[in-house]
Amino acid sequence: MIDTDRIVGSDRTARPVQRDGRPQRRARLLPGGLRWILPGFAISVGLIYYSIVYSGYLSFFDWPGGRALMTPVGFQNYLTALQDPVLWTALRNTLIYFVVVFVVQVAGGTLFAAAMHSKVRLANLYKVLVVIPVVVAPATLAPAQIQVWQSDGTVNRILGFFGLSSLEQSWIGQSTTSLLVVTLVGCWGAIGYGFILIYAGMSQIDPELIEAGRLDGAGNFRVLFSVVLPSLRPIIVSLAILNFITALKLFDNPWLITQGGPAHSSEFLGTMIYGETASTDRNLGYASALSILVLVVAVAVSIFMQLRGRERVARARGRRKELADV
Amino acid sequence: MFETRSRRARIILQLVLTIAVIPFVIPLIAMLQTSFEGAGWGNYLAVVQVPGFPKFFVNTIIIAAASIVIVYLATLMAAFGFSKLRVRGKEVFFWLMMAALTLPEVVLIAPLYTTAVKLGLLGTYWSVILPIAALQIPFTVLIARGYVDGIPDAVFEAARIDGANTWRVFWSILVPLSRPIAVALMVLVLIYAWNSYLLPKVFLIDDGMGVVTQLPEFFRRQYNDDTPKILAASVITAIPTIIAYIALQRQFERGMAAGAIK
Repeated sequence: MIDTDRIVGSDRTARPVQRDGRPQRRARLLPGGLRWILPGFAISVGLIYYSIVYSGYLSFFDWPGGRALMTPVGFQNYLTALQDPVLWTALRNTLIYFVVVFVVQVAGGTLFAAAMHSKVRLANLYKVLVVIPVVVAPATLAPAQIQVWQSDGTVNRILGFFGLSSLEQSWIGQSTTSLLVVTLVGCWGAIGYGFILIYAGMSQIDPELIEAGRLDGAGNFRVLFSVVLPSLRPIIVSLAILNFITALKLFDNPWLITQGGPAHSSEFLGTMIYGETASTDRNLGYASALSILVLVVAVAVSIFMQLRGRERVARARGRRKELADV
Repeated sequence: MFETRSRRARIILQLVLTIAVIPFVIPLIAMLQTSFEGAGWGNYLAVVQVPGFPKFFVNTIIIAAASIVIVYLATLMAAFGFSKLRVRGKEVFFWLMMAALTLPEVVLIAPLYTTAVKLGLLGTYWSVILPIAALQIPFTVLIARGYVDGIPDAVFEAARIDGANTWRVFWSILVPLSRPIAVALMVLVLIYAWNSYLLPKVFLIDDGMGVVTQLPEFFRRQYNDDTPKILAASVITAIPTIIAYIALQRQFERGMAAGAIK
């Protein structure tokens, strides 16, 4: 037998081995990898952490950018933000958007995924139609959505066709329905995403498990709710986190369809920060303070959901084990 | 998943599916229909002939290609380092990178805008390519590392015995073996870069630096709200993405699912 360790150890970066313990020894014999991880580390961690730290620094100034003077204002930007009713509208909108889109995404994604795991005709055609809003840029599809929701658009025409002319309204242009339009367009784009993940998750479920359920006399829906959905829990947790982050940074659709209006009724944190960064009366300090607030919420909520999700999965597993032991 | 033993059940399932898909079709039909209003194909001709139209595609292709090359190399090298090489404090580095995994991109625009102005990078391709790469790398490294962990160490050891240095091992063993996951991840980077809107909107403010996602706005200004032409531009922009999706369906879905399923 050849002693591979010794030969591998002849690499120039490896040092003579004196420590005890095999894993330690092996690790020492491997060539150094710091410079291999450095490029990716520098680009991602470097740029992102730099931005966060710089953002934190800027958030203590009043600054319109460029050559203008940076006025130190302490925590004023944060105080202004917390007292700004627009921020609270944006947070409320973010929460509504998140809850509605998440629920519709999981329900719609499950429906499509379950149907396409059954025997249906033209499955691929349906799939492509559902996934188009996921792969084509929201910015490209927004004009089509405006066409659908504007006063002489498709929705009003369909309502008129069914004799519901009284329900026709200017969906985009009034503050009572602008958030609804942005949220529905969000659902339209999100279902395909949920579908892909849930479809993939369903492919991993052991068919015997489903067969066992059927032998015990469970119908289609019983199988779906008692066998399929519980094993999709990790995916649903991932979807919740992804959706929350999407809602927090939402910019493309509200900006292109309603511009956050009318009267900030469909404002989101993304559109607020963009407005403060790119408009002519910008205050980069205020934009940075908002960014830091978004960051804090994003990190806190992801950690919370991650922990809750894990706890639930663990508890469910424990329960199943108890049942199996009995 | 659903068992449809009878003919009736099969028809009902098909019917439910068809009804559920209607809301997805409506905007697409509205888009196509309106784009032909008035001058018919003439709308498309007018859009294509606008000076500077190809430049939008060229800019997007440059940004997407550069992002893919950077993310590809950085990801495979990092996955190799994290998975198969010796790095002191490896998990700390990894953890620092993963902490940026769910970062919303809007929090980057204010500081990066300021920095880009200072460094004179505003309006250059780099001002968009680097943030795109930075935001994608944590995710691609996470997935690629998981994949490379699954390749047995013995394969790498065998190459070393044959006298290959680390660089050679990377190119002749790791790159070919990780191809399936790399392709899937690069399809995701392609779609992300192709569809990015906020970053180009903030950083590429010069004339002639527009990207495809800005085409509808460009035509809104150009044609003073001539809706059919704006929608014709949207259709032309959407078609390459749809074709790319249909052609790369499996890779795309694999990459997306890789993040959520372990």
